[in-house]
Amino acid sequence: MGERVEALHRESNPHTLRDLTMRRQLIRGGQHNIGHLCTRQQCEDGLADKVALRWISPAMQRRNYSFLELEQQSNRFANVLQELGITRGEVVVSFVPRLPEQMISFLGTLKLEAVAGCLFPSFGEEALLDRLGDARASVVLAVKRSLRKLLKIRPRIPSLRYILLLDADRHESDDVLSWSRLMATASDQFQAPVTSPDTPSVLHYTSGSTGKPKGVLHVHRSILHLQSTSQEVLGLRGDEVYWCTADQGWVTGTSYGIIGPWSLGTTQVHFGGGYDASAWMSVLEQNRVETWYTAPTALRMLMREDPALFAKFDLAGLRQVFSVGEPLNPEVIQWGRTSLQREIHDTWFQTETGGILISNRPGLSIRSGSMGIPVSGIEAAILDESGAPVPDGQQGCLCVRAGWPSQFVTYLNHSEVYGEKFRNGFYYSGDKAHRDAQGYYWFSGREDDVINTAGHLVSPFEVESALLEVQEVAESGVVAAPDPLLFEKVVAFVCLHPGVAMTKELELKIRLHVSNRISTIATPQEVIVVDRIPKNRSGKIMRRVLRAHYRGDALGDISTLEEES
Amino acid sequence: MTTIRDRLESIFRKVFDDESLDVQPSMTANDVSGWDSFSHVNLILAVESEFAIKFSTSELLRFKSIGDLLTSVEEKCPRR
Repeated sequence: MGERVEALHRESNPHTLRDLTMRRQLIRGGQHNIGHLCTRQQCEDGLADKVALRWISPAMQRRNYSFLELEQQSNRFANVLQELGITRGEVVVSFVPRLPEQMISFLGTLKLEAVAGCLFPSFGEEALLDRLGDARASVVLAVKRSLRKLLKIRPRIPSLRYILLLDADRHESDDVLSWSRLMATASDQFQAPVTSPDTPSVLHYTSGSTGKPKGVLHVHRSILHLQSTSQEVLGLRGDEVYWCTADQGWVTGTSYGIIGPWSLGTTQVHFGGGYDASAWMSVLEQNRVETWYTAPTALRMLMREDPALFAKFDLAGLRQVFSVGEPLNPEVIQWGRTSLQREIHDTWFQTETGGILISNRPGLSIRSGSMGIPVSGIEAAILDESGAPVPDGQQGCLCVRAGWPSQFVTYLNHSEVYGEKFRNGFYYSGDKAHRDAQGYYWFSGREDDVINTAGHLVSPFEVESALLEVQEVAESGVVAAPDPLLFEKVVAFVCLHPGVAMTKELELKIRLHVSNRISTIATPQEVIVVDRIPKNRSGKIMRRVLRAHYRGDALGDISTLEEES
Repeated sequence: MTTIRDRLESIFRKVFDDESLDVQPSMTANDVSGWDSFSHVNLILAVESEFAIKFSTSELLRFKSIGDLLTSVEEKCPRR
């Protein structure tokens, strides 16, 4: 197996491997600080005037930020935090839409050795409270329109000392402050301490099928893997224009929308608008984007557009397209070949892995529907629950030999759950997969009940809890169902209180409640009324039975189903 | 008298859970926090329910701004 994978690596990108040895060393004098390496070190390497960030507003207006500006602005933010009394290890969370200020704050936070937490701006009150409370956040970056939501939950987050508003011209109170006013008076000089590789850096939250979402903590060492995979997989050299469409609430958005590319001195495009096929194609064309990293749901949305649209744009500069978040179905790969005249390369990683571990990449023959092969230095395996290898072609647990540089270091406040993810030196990803005889890995599903909708993991437990807050709902059970656009959709089974009938108004009420409490992404796409929610004798919801019910399949072993009282 | 625009604003406030939302015809999804493809479905369902109307798929694809949505609702609602 080892030789076969080595041969595939050599085949995949010989130029990249050569460049790896030619490139100047990333870590100098023991300095692992991500903020420093993405800004100051780039300036020291002669890139001070180079465009680091090309920001494109929703109205398609451009604003370039050089590496020097990124360095000075992130220094200012590190000083702002320091002046507010924030110290090493405290958590600074961004709860903002994609904006240059978010990226500047992220880098400044890391320079101070504080922890940069990143949340999706679509989170509702309950989701926000769970995450900010668990992280014991000291500072939250927000925009004015989300202030009301934050102020409502603030009394329940005793750790929270400041809310910094990115779009406020003046301070609203002693602790709700204007980001721009603070930045205006802060020094643009800041020397990041020499940061050890084990220093906590980035915090993302991920959902499980039970319990509350868990904070996945990474360390500054991760930059080693993010840089090497940006080269080996994405093929970045530092002299191209690159666009990652992921929001910074997603691990892709920080790992490959900030850290990996800037550690190489690559110019990144970021677009502030949402999905819009014409706008996206304009961004690709007008900025001569060479490497584009996006998601299957976005690609499937593009597939639904009139094919004539793509002919209107000159995408000759586009060299490579990559995808992450959900399995990439063969139809999308075929569409890429016909509409974009490009291969679309799938990549696999998780919030916990921090960076790409398995991928199809330029130079490898793409096997449509496969995740590809492990990247250099990564030992993947298909194991059974006891840790024994599963023969090629048979489904098992997708595992990775522990110790890769971007490996998470704990689930915040849940070290016991972290420990359960590792057995016999392997990380158990929770994904089911098989490996074929040529060493390619094929995803087949999750081992737990987590729902992957449009690349976002949704906890059925969180949605079930929100549903129970709706006055008319007595019981709830939530499962995933296949969806041609979203990969999986959220389906809610509800048992209503006696005398309550399902109406369009009630269904809308349920949808809005989940959307506003948890997140728009968690909105049930179907609400199905049932007489009772199947539970086992210890009261656990039998989601397997609900999935079978949805598919119209036989219910399987229901010997543990609770008796009707 | 409550206008269609007032009713639409009330729907936006409910759907996007923001009582301070000031709806303007020129606003697009990029101007409203949380207006993504998921909440867009909620919005359309809420508008259809409030005004007892239905939108066709082609109409939905034409909506680029709140003004477009407002115009369509006004065309579909009988004058009072």
